Amino acid sequence: MKTRIKELRARYDLTQEDLAKKINVRRETIVFLEKGKYNPSLKLAHDVAKALKTTIEELFIFDD
Amino acid sequence: MLNETKTGQKIVIIMGIGITTLVVFTFAFYMLADPSISLFDIISIPILLTIILTSSYIIYDRAKNIKKGLPAQDERLKQVGYKAGYYGFIAAIWSAVGSNMGSIIVTDQELRGGLVTAAVVLISGIVFMISFLYFSRKGE
Repeated sequence: MKTRIKELRARYDLTQEDLAKKINVRRETIVFLEKGKYNPSLKLAHDVAKALKTTIEELFIFDD
Repeated sequence: MLNETKTGQKIVIIMGIGITTLVVFTFAFYMLADPSISLFDIISIPILLTIILTSSYIIYDRAKNIKKGLPAQDERLKQVGYKAGYYGFIAAIWSAVGSNMGSIIVTDQELRGGLVTAAVVLISGIVFMISFLYFSRKGE
């Protein structure tokens, strides 16, 4: 799984810590999400997408 | 709601500090009361110290996150905790069987009940701590 979190975070000039505070998770969780090393729950995926003003489909790219 | 969660997290951290302090004091009193060190002590002391140091690190890490305005625990860390708990549980079962079996093979004697309990607590504790640190560094 690939994500566009880093790209969108840079677009809105947010640090990993800023994004973590917005969605109430630890900074390491953002690190692992960006690296595609953690599969988030639907709620967390929704929260991240909402914080980055996008949709889940746009944010997470699954390799078939 | 958010404040209640943060208060709960602070209570967990305070309880963690309290329990770790009690373990350290119990360990210190045990060592002061019995100056003769058996083979079991030599094996168990490093395990106990690892558990104390790891739990202190986990408490410090959580307190640091709260200070920054971030949650001490989130869904990823909860999953890591469940996974590490599962490994700790499996280790507890096998250490109960294995410690006694190992003692019979090596010394031809069964272990006393207290020693088996100590082995179960120490081995499952260290397996939980190592799994927790490993999975939290790995991602999930």
